[in-house]
Amino acid sequence: MRLISKTTLLYLLLAFIVFSLGGVISLEQFKKAVSQETDYELMGAYFRTKEEVKKGNVDAIVTSKYLEIMPLESNFQYDTTQAFTLRDTNIYLKRTEQVETFRKLIGFVSHGDQHYRVEIIDIFFEDADLKSVVNNITMRLFLFLTIGLIIGSILISKFIFRPFEQILQAIEGFRLSSDEPFKMPPTNTREFQQLNRFLERMTTKARMDYVALKEFSENASHEIQTPIAIAKGKLELLQESSDLQENQLRLIQSAQHSLTKLSKLGQALSLITKIENQEFISANPINLSQIVAHSTQNFSELATLKNIAVEKKIQENVQIKIDPTLADILISNLLKNAVQHNIEGGRIQVQLTSNQLVVENTGKELNQEPEKLFERFQKNQQSSKTLGLGLAIVKKICDLNHMQIHYHYKDRIHSMKVNF
Amino acid sequence: MKILIVEDEKELQDNIVSYLANGEFVCETANNFQEAQDKLYGFQYDVVVLDIMLPDGNGLHILQLLKEEAPETGILIISAKNALDDRLKGLDMGADDYLTKPFHLSELNARLKAIFRRRKLQGQTSLQFEEIDIDTNKREVQVAENPVVLTLKEYELLLFFITNKKRVLTKQAIAEHLWGDHVDYLDSFDFVYQHIKNLRKKIMSAGGNNYIHTIYGLGYKFGTNG
Repeated sequence: MRLISKTTLLYLLLAFIVFSLGGVISLEQFKKAVSQETDYELMGAYFRTKEEVKKGNVDAIVTSKYLEIMPLESNFQYDTTQAFTLRDTNIYLKRTEQVETFRKLIGFVSHGDQHYRVEIIDIFFEDADLKSVVNNITMRLFLFLTIGLIIGSILISKFIFRPFEQILQAIEGFRLSSDEPFKMPPTNTREFQQLNRFLERMTTKARMDYVALKEFSENASHEIQTPIAIAKGKLELLQESSDLQENQLRLIQSAQHSLTKLSKLGQALSLITKIENQEFISANPINLSQIVAHSTQNFSELATLKNIAVEKKIQENVQIKIDPTLADILISNLLKNAVQHNIEGGRIQVQLTSNQLVVENTGKELNQEPEKLFERFQKNQQSSKTLGLGLAIVKKICDLNHMQIHYHYKDRIHSMKVNF
Repeated sequence: MKILIVEDEKELQDNIVSYLANGEFVCETANNFQEAQDKLYGFQYDVVVLDIMLPDGNGLHILQLLKEEAPETGILIISAKNALDDRLKGLDMGADDYLTKPFHLSELNARLKAIFRRRKLQGQTSLQFEEIDIDTNKREVQVAENPVVLTLKEYELLLFFITNKKRVLTKQAIAEHLWGDHVDYLDSFDFVYQHIKNLRKKIMSAGGNNYIHTIYGLGYKFGTNG
């Protein structure tokens, strides 16, 4: 939900509560004022009647259902200081077919010794009328306020919040790796200016860190790989000499191996650094089916030589957003793993659907906890064959691209599931 | 074949020169951007081996210069950066190939010869070694005029051997040449052995001699005598 819709709705909710309360309070106030007014009117009518009766014009008083005057027994006594009382009374009205509350005055008047009882009922306001008037006013005000708020919120989002929307757009378009300056909309709102300044500082800093780390990892890679290249070259020149014994050649071979391992280690670590530095952010979807098919093809030869059967079920044209190099590394590492930890005469099954990649292979049970599988330098056997970084890289790639990877083992089948 | 090696690391330069000087190469070297520029203005080279990380300038500028001034020269980039954008940029700008440090000198040798074959010997696409004939265009092999059907990997292996004849090739170098970075474990050496066994069998059954000599503890050597 948009910010402006949220605030507008909240305002409306508040307004609704305020107006409801206001309506109730107004109704009470109105009632009070009206009933006071009614009381005065009733009292006025009573006093006029009293004057008339005093003068002896009882018969001249027009009685109706609102005013009744009844003669009383001559021995009736009443307190002349409290000659009338006011009270509420419920009367059934034929017109509205409802019982309604009216104000009623009961008083006593006298002409000489003849006393009369007077009952006057107000004819001015009915309770229901009052309610509907207050309701009507409140509803109309609320309607006007609602319209006003909606128009207001549209204007606010169009003019006042405009820079905010633009800032959001700029943030969404921000790429660490691009050189494009981070364009902020000009604004004279103080809070937005603050936000702009802060974002400008942060993005500049982030870009500087990104470039610094990128350069560092490239330079580090250069500084490590160059001496390895020199040493490997020297060994290669040495092995060309014609007068070497077999055991000397073995020494060269062994040195070559260690150097190759060191070099691969450097490459793998620098790859991890690059993934962590988000140097492989891709906005374009690629055809994963092709990459999986191609990789499986590449590895099937290695698998055949190890007597491993490769089955593949690849759904056509599976598109996901990932850097193509990383996709290739991800799949290669999973397949490499499946070949490497397989058994003679084993099996590999590769399955790709629109939201899942599953690589299953036969193999011996792990002798370590599966949770550690994706950590760096965790190897099943402390063998010198592998670096122990393949699955760590796989995990990094999955994390970067918001994919989940799960491992499980059952019936001598290792299964790696990548969900995207 | 005349080549210029542009590499600031003296030791690496020496390695390349010593290795290539054994074969049919004439090597010259340049230690920095300036020297490379001077030599390229002064002389003609068949292939330039170019390190793109030079102390006094980006090697990609030399690439640009070469494309403008001597488009017929082949270019092989070597870099330790392994940065993807540099690799793509280099190939986009017209480099023929790209090698990441550390590389096997035998691999460099094979790649240089492949560039030379593509660029300089346009008309001539056949490679010969004794009774073995390879048509690199059609990817066809004949041994003593009998056609031999090789798998892609066997073909690549034979080509690698012939371009590196009389040199010691380790199983590691062969494995990396055939499968690239995908194989970095010892298992792959058995695969190399399998392929070599098959290749040897196919050549010999077509009436060829055995030119693949095993060097115990190290690898293989291709030639008329071990």
